[in-house]
Amino acid sequence: MTYMAIPNIGNYTIALATAVESLGINAWASTATTPAALKLGIDAAPESVCLPLKAHLGHFIEADRAGVEYAFMVNSVGTCRLRYYRHMIGQILKDLGLKIKIFGLGFDGFKPPIVRHFDPGPITFIKPLFHTVQKIKVIDELEVAAWRTRAIEITHGDTTQVMNKLLVELSESKTMAQTRAIRKKAAGCFADIPVDKEKKPLKVGLVGEISFLRDKCLNKNIEYILGSQGIELRNFFLLGEELQNITRIVFLNQSRRKSLSKLADRYLQNSVGGHALDSVAYSIHCADEGYDGMIHLCPSGCMPEVSVRPILKRVSKDKNIPILEMSYDEHTCSVGIATRLEAFADVLMERRKKNSSTAQRGKRAGHG
Amino acid sequence: MGKQMNNSCYLGIDVGSISTNCVVITPEGEVLCEIYKRGDGHPIESVQQCLAQLTAQLPDRFCIRGVCTTGSGRILAGAVVGADVIKNEISAHARATLHLYPEVRTIFEIGGQDSKVTIVRDGVVVDFSMNLVCAAGTGSFLDSQARRLNITIEELSARAMMSETPTNIAGRCTVFAESDMIHKQQVGHEQKDITMGLCHALVRNYLSNVCNGKEIKPPIVFQGGVSANKGIHRAFKEALRCDIIIPPYNMVMGAYGAAIIASKSCIEKTNFRGKEASTKPIITKGFECGDCPNCCEIIEVLNAAEIIGRTGGRCGKWEGKTGPRESLRGTGPKGHVSVPSTGMEMGHEICRQVDDVPDLIQIGVPKK
Repeated sequence: MTYMAIPNIGNYTIALATAVESLGINAWASTATTPAALKLGIDAAPESVCLPLKAHLGHFIEADRAGVEYAFMVNSVGTCRLRYYRHMIGQILKDLGLKIKIFGLGFDGFKPPIVRHFDPGPITFIKPLFHTVQKIKVIDELEVAAWRTRAIEITHGDTTQVMNKLLVELSESKTMAQTRAIRKKAAGCFADIPVDKEKKPLKVGLVGEISFLRDKCLNKNIEYILGSQGIELRNFFLLGEELQNITRIVFLNQSRRKSLSKLADRYLQNSVGGHALDSVAYSIHCADEGYDGMIHLCPSGCMPEVSVRPILKRVSKDKNIPILEMSYDEHTCSVGIATRLEAFADVLMERRKKNSSTAQRGKRAGHG
Repeated sequence: MGKQMNNSCYLGIDVGSISTNCVVITPEGEVLCEIYKRGDGHPIESVQQCLAQLTAQLPDRFCIRGVCTTGSGRILAGAVVGADVIKNEISAHARATLHLYPEVRTIFEIGGQDSKVTIVRDGVVVDFSMNLVCAAGTGSFLDSQARRLNITIEELSARAMMSETPTNIAGRCTVFAESDMIHKQQVGHEQKDITMGLCHALVRNYLSNVCNGKEIKPPIVFQGGVSANKGIHRAFKEALRCDIIIPPYNMVMGAYGAAIIASKSCIEKTNFRGKEASTKPIITKGFECGDCPNCCEIIEVLNAAEIIGRTGGRCGKWEGKTGPRESLRGTGPKGHVSVPSTGMEMGHEICRQVDDVPDLIQIGVPKK
């Protein structure tokens, strides 16, 4: 049996695994980097590169040790260094003397090299590909539902359990009909979680580097920590949306990115790479939508995200929305993260209390 | 009833990196006793000694009605004493300062290994920042430099105040500061000038790193262990050209804030273990969970043979539970499997078993 290691992009790895099956091989993957893999990556990579590269590298080293022959690494469409990360990871793996062969997504000719190599029949290829897209969309929906429900659930952990159960089912689903059934069922499962409907949770947007937005091991489970503090999250990386974005760039030359750059125009006219423009645009968007705060996840050494930090400070001031800067590297300890998040939640709560009391006072003054 | 109310008091415990502090207050916020104890790497013993000292100092008629722990060791300390509330130190510090100085607009807090700035507007915390990956602007920096000069930290403070022409010391990093200091010594600068230069370096570092981009407006309150150092106080005054307030309980503000939080939390019946917490030997025992590949190191807090708390897990199945170990094993989130995992409740893997791989690492899964 042939196996291919695929990079972690959180729960979306489930869908990617289906995509790999379209090549007629099996996927070797996990929905979060293991601490052990991360350690392997840190040891092998140059010290100054960003943590996501180390995590991916570690994952591939672990795969190689487990006897996996192939690996696949995403390329970034933007101008981030992630573009070269496949080559860099490939080179490091080679220098380490590992046999694992790493593919990118590049096109040269009609078929990408990865498809040419495995050369699956058209039926085995096309069907799982559609299934992948379908799964990605379902995961998008599950994520959104979980962020909402976790903030208001009565018993802690209910949402997480439901989410886990559905994800397991999703990863086992072999046909599009099964996936459709899971999607149908999911709405009911989330609706069955006992929630406190009266509660008006704080709303926080999560922006920043995508590996950090998605990988629970890297971001120290920030979604769970915030959710269990009663904060409703909106994580601004949904692969489904991103996919639409990419295909539109390719086929229609129009994209959501255009509307984003319009939104961010006052602060940033250039896409500085990665998802930095998105970070700025979504912060402005959230401020306009009345979010209580934003959290910006930034690996130390991530060029695009670091360059928008001062801009975000400005946005925070102009739009009067608190933005918490989180900088991560391999030495980041989870206690520090938890302390900052707790304190941030306190700040947001106090702000809200103050705003509502001033609003009330204003009302009373108006009546008087 | 009235008499009982008069005798009730609240305890705040701040377990920091360098010191352990306790404060007992009346329900009105008046301090009954305060303890500052420099720790020596044994947080549990430090807490117990503090409690013992406290029992000796506190008149018998007072009865502790609520306990709140804060600081980086808050969870462990909470398990040891039986805390009612566990709060992050940023909120605790701000609470204490706002109690004493309702008009404060900026709070500087420099402790052993953390330095923070909290921005307050109209009596509400609106922003905060904490040192990220470097401890160059903190108490540990001063400690190590004092050790290098072979003087105590108190002497360093006194000598700095005598200086009239402070030397310029590079303060970005402890290592460079040290070599710069050696150089200045060899050139023949006086020690008092070097120590004051060191204080300036620390303040410069703090203002440019931690306060970067924050609006520093007076009144400014300066607290935390380092605020006892007059040289730093003077350096702050010279750098910001305004008065810096040092509050009366500057060394124990975190514990004071925690006590205030406890007094306002409407605790009906406290979990405080009382005298028993300070007299019985409490030991901790670590073991590796091993239920998933995260292999969390779980710390059990034991009072004789009785387990009074656990810390260190990431999935929530151990945290705070006191049942026997075997009964908790495997109670983690369902769908949790033998490999790459988040280890957290959100965990979910989609690895598949790779057959015929000699015993390298164990991977893969089908869940359940």
